[in-house]
Amino acid sequence: MLTTLRDIQIPLLAAMLLGGSLAKLARAIGRRSVSAGLGPTALFPLRLRPWAGAMLFAVEFGMGFGLIATAGAFGSGAPATLVRVGTCVLFVVATCALIELRSIRPDIGCGCFGEFSASPITGRILARSILLAIAALATVTLPRIVLPRTAVAATPFLIMLLAELVLFGFLSPEVREVLVRVGYSAPCERRVMSTEQSIAALHRSAQWRKHSALLADRRPHDIWRELCWRYIAYPSRYDGRAAELVFAVYLQHRRPAVLSVLVDAATGAVIPWPVGRPADWWLRLSHLGLPAASQPEHDPWPGDQGADPARDQPGTRLTASSLV
Amino acid sequence: MCCERCPGATQAGTDHIAKRRLLKAAVFQPAVQQAAGNTPPADTMPAGTTSASAAPAAAPPANASRADLTPASLYRPVTGQIIDAGPQVIVIGQERGERRFVLTARASAWRGSPLDPASLRIGDKAVIRVLPSRSDVADRIWANIGRVTGTIMVRDQDRLVVAEGSTKKLQTVVIPPRARVRIQVRFPTLQPGYLVDIIGIRRRDHLEGLHPATPQPHYRSDLVPKDLRRRLPETINGSATWHDSADEPYGVLGVSYPAIDPSAGCLEDSEAGYGHGEAPAYRDLPYLAVGTALNVRNECTGISWTLPVTGCAPIARLFNDRCVACQNSDRGRVADLTLSSFVALGGELDAGCFNATLTIGR
Repeated sequence: MLTTLRDIQIPLLAAMLLGGSLAKLARAIGRRSVSAGLGPTALFPLRLRPWAGAMLFAVEFGMGFGLIATAGAFGSGAPATLVRVGTCVLFVVATCALIELRSIRPDIGCGCFGEFSASPITGRILARSILLAIAALATVTLPRIVLPRTAVAATPFLIMLLAELVLFGFLSPEVREVLVRVGYSAPCERRVMSTEQSIAALHRSAQWRKHSALLADRRPHDIWRELCWRYIAYPSRYDGRAAELVFAVYLQHRRPAVLSVLVDAATGAVIPWPVGRPADWWLRLSHLGLPAASQPEHDPWPGDQGADPARDQPGTRLTASSLV
Repeated sequence: MCCERCPGATQAGTDHIAKRRLLKAAVFQPAVQQAAGNTPPADTMPAGTTSASAAPAAAPPANASRADLTPASLYRPVTGQIIDAGPQVIVIGQERGERRFVLTARASAWRGSPLDPASLRIGDKAVIRVLPSRSDVADRIWANIGRVTGTIMVRDQDRLVVAEGSTKKLQTVVIPPRARVRIQVRFPTLQPGYLVDIIGIRRRDHLEGLHPATPQPHYRSDLVPKDLRRRLPETINGSATWHDSADEPYGVLGVSYPAIDPSAGCLEDSEAGYGHGEAPAYRDLPYLAVGTALNVRNECTGISWTLPVTGCAPIARLFNDRCVACQNSDRGRVADLTLSSFVALGGELDAGCFNATLTIGR
């Protein structure tokens, strides 16, 4: 049983790696740009992103192909071990990169399967990556795979493969994106979700439990939506000054990602979460990652210093009279 | 909470909308930076905002003049009543006094049809396009231009009563005999229930319809077909138009966007009795809110500008036309600009539209 379970990891890992690399390639071809990748390539400086994207594709494709090529008699022994150890290292590094990415760009997807992986990185994606690393580790000492020759012998193999596929399907937000593409579901930018649904989802979230004590009033004073996120701003107090506690709720019906920030109401500056609160350790855990190396790219804003005047012109800020 | 279209909005009542962009940027800052308590660097915050500032972050100074806000690459629209018009100079009167503009050698004017600037009449209400690099040189003048876009409610001979939205006053369009054939070539069905979009001369109580701004959609406004494209591209191509709204103050810079979040409640939709997500529209565009920054690029001139969404476009979203101002745009109207924004981006008011590409801050 255990051997069968280890055997099925090889085709599963190979399928994930080949699928991921081909999806990235399709995205790059579709956009005619290697740097158009999502996910961990966003951790690199702009000039290195094309190289990082190309390298990621090459490594994933090479590992996926290598896993299949060395699964049988051909290449068994040292080459197979090398490929499997490499695959394990790849998934460990990928897990760390996703944790880092989640901490500095919580709004973008992991890019694991190209355009299908556009939703924010959640715990489920991290769990999938960890499971894949464990699966790769389990294959390191695996002898060459002998395919079952009878239906009876193949049955447990297929059942376990199916069970694992279901597990990974549950952990994969890409399934939802596939449903969108085939027309079964609306894309998140067009998903109709009421404000009440978003608030209910917020109230069920860990972010709410952690920060709701900071609210000065439980009635939000502003709610708005942009694309796939709904923003809910509550009045708050911090160190005797007026503050705003802002939550961003991803627009999906089940277990949406929720982000939060505390800002100074007067200046808009980000305020650190109050220290010494019992929930602080959990807050840090939820934002696993090292200090950020750089700021995320903000959209141009009128009057930004150094902004391209042809793309970013001043004079567009809202005034009361413009809201008609 | 304010509706997403707020006639008579006050500064105090709309400050929260002006702050939305800042709050959104704060949410997506690095989490560790938040934990460390660093304030964002100045270049990530709107101009005029410092961490020590006591004023609301995104609120512009109340006395900021339009000239201060207009960058070098954009045209500047100026409106006023013509006091004097000659081949080289035009003088207009505004509330603040007279303004004199030198005309370029190739300057042209429009009052129902192209004409020489010297032929403009004293008393005409003019929209003057001032060159980006020179604040006293103009190259284009439109006199008494007006536009009516909406659904025909009543037709009586050559008089049309048109609804531009459930919250706006009904508009009357009178089509003179000389323009009848020209308009009916592109609007063959001038019957109640059908859409029209006519540009002409603004009279005291009606629009003298002279030019069709677009071909007429072949369907009734209550039977809008759907664009079958499922995917939402990151940049949106389509037709950008302008609107002539009497209840909109001059100089408003913004864009009415056809897909305002249904939960926010576009006043037009609730007045018309549409539920969440039920309002008809030809194209499925990403939902946004009032205050979202939208980069609008005029593909005919190459000028782009980041504009705030200032309202919903209940009529523009019903059209499935293409703009043919330069190249063919994709079908459907994706932005309904204010007159000032349209001129600033290099649009020709008498053409009615330009081929636009929208980029939404993702």
